[in-house]
Amino acid sequence: MTKNLLNSALLKQLGFYCVLLLAWHIISKARVWPDYLFPSLGTVFSTLESGFRDHTFLIGILTSLKRLFLGFAFSVTLGGVLGVALVKFKLLEETLGGLILGLQTMPSICWFPLALLWFGLGENAIIFVVIMGSLFSITMAVHSAIKSIPPMIIGAGKNMGARRITLLLWVMLPAAVPSLLIGARQSWSFAWRSLMAGELLFNSQGLGFLLNIGRDLNDMSQVIAVMLIITLISVLIDKLFFGKLESSVKRRWGLKRKF
Amino acid sequence: MNNPILQINIKYKVFGTHNGSNLRVMEDIKMNIDKGEFACIVGPSGCGKTTLLNIIAGLDRSYCGEILYKNRKIADCGPDRIMIFQELALFPWLTVQSNVEFGLKIKGFSREKRERIALEYLEMVHLTKFKNACVHELSGGMKQRVALARALALQPEILLMDEPFSALDAQTRDTLHEELQKIWSMTKQTVVFVTHNVREAVCLGDKVYVFSAGPSSTIKATFPIHIARPRYIESEGLMEQVRAVLAELRFEIKKSYDKEFA
Repeated sequence: MTKNLLNSALLKQLGFYCVLLLAWHIISKARVWPDYLFPSLGTVFSTLESGFRDHTFLIGILTSLKRLFLGFAFSVTLGGVLGVALVKFKLLEETLGGLILGLQTMPSICWFPLALLWFGLGENAIIFVVIMGSLFSITMAVHSAIKSIPPMIIGAGKNMGARRITLLLWVMLPAAVPSLLIGARQSWSFAWRSLMAGELLFNSQGLGFLLNIGRDLNDMSQVIAVMLIITLISVLIDKLFFGKLESSVKRRWGLKRKF
Repeated sequence: MNNPILQINIKYKVFGTHNGSNLRVMEDIKMNIDKGEFACIVGPSGCGKTTLLNIIAGLDRSYCGEILYKNRKIADCGPDRIMIFQELALFPWLTVQSNVEFGLKIKGFSREKRERIALEYLEMVHLTKFKNACVHELSGGMKQRVALARALALQPEILLMDEPFSALDAQTRDTLHEELQKIWSMTKQTVVFVTHNVREAVCLGDKVYVFSAGPSSTIKATFPIHIARPRYIESEGLMEQVRAVLAELRFEIKKSYDKEFA
């Protein structure tokens, strides 16, 4: 049953993209817009091909992914500690908690000028923006994930002798895993957006930079090619990595809907 | 036995309510529970039965009074007083066996020892076949038996049970009553069992305590039950006892309704 459903859903998606590509082809052939504004499928594919052949795109992808990984890893570590601290210390929750909530709503790219002045025009400034983009959302996610654990679960843990560290590591953290994952999935997308915004603003390899080069050279096919790559990476990380992780946790916990 | 394992003397317990005023839920509750006794507590909703279990477990410490456990004041919760919760508090991220092993792991037992003990108790509740199952794959009755095995594996002195069978269907409940009696007759633990179900209380208990309607609830009556074990709901003499307890309880339930609707 699910297998059939999956197949038919896959089929529908395939069909959809075929129609989309066909429409693109027809519009570019009809020359509604000039080629330098609306390049043909062929031009975009040859740009993709040459970009990968001379390693420009690969270097761009790896540079961006490295920054994303570094920034996100830092955010997860610091955000995890901050989130737990907010739960543990009431005073911190009442003071810092409000500030973090406020900072979370600020677009992360607003940190860029500050980052440039502090770290100069370089790698650190970009990673700083990535961290600022995801740190607060992770902190709040950890905080609310722990807060929403059923008291009965914590009571049972305490009752069986779990204290402080054992209670945190063996009861509270595993109990919070499903909501933590949802938080991580949202936070990584914040980090990714901040990274792209940061890379657009200064010359530093990376995918955002390649996008900007396309604009500078008036090369629409490069702009579209890089946008395709960015979309693909987003989908891969979100659907394949986080999606798979989430569904395996759901299966384990019995959170999958049965009817 | 002249020296009870639990000497409960709660002067009162106060809950803060949403509008800022305080609500006294218990008033002068005195109970002595002997070692090995199966004590059942019935009472109208909101009379503080669950609160009493939380206090004995050491999870709730904001009360006025004193509870002596083996002649010492209860200061903290510990694996010698294990609670089985109303809504099962099994850990969904662990398998059945790991759930049973959890408390043993905290006690610092070796892996082999943990496994041996866990399997022994899983066998006692007839769930050996399901040791590797996830919690959500089990039926309600099976989950309850895992919770029982998890509690028993720690060999607690006192087993605190908070309406453990209330969410089960009647047949499963009857079966579990028999199993619980069988296990209890082997382990001889002290049990404090809270329930709404008078028949269950009379069927299982050595003594049935009836709490009066809350707030300011207290012990209304105590019924020693002398029917021979193993008992079944149709056992001789059980119905008369149930009637006697119900007569007390109905009066209290009516009182609590009258207060609510006044």
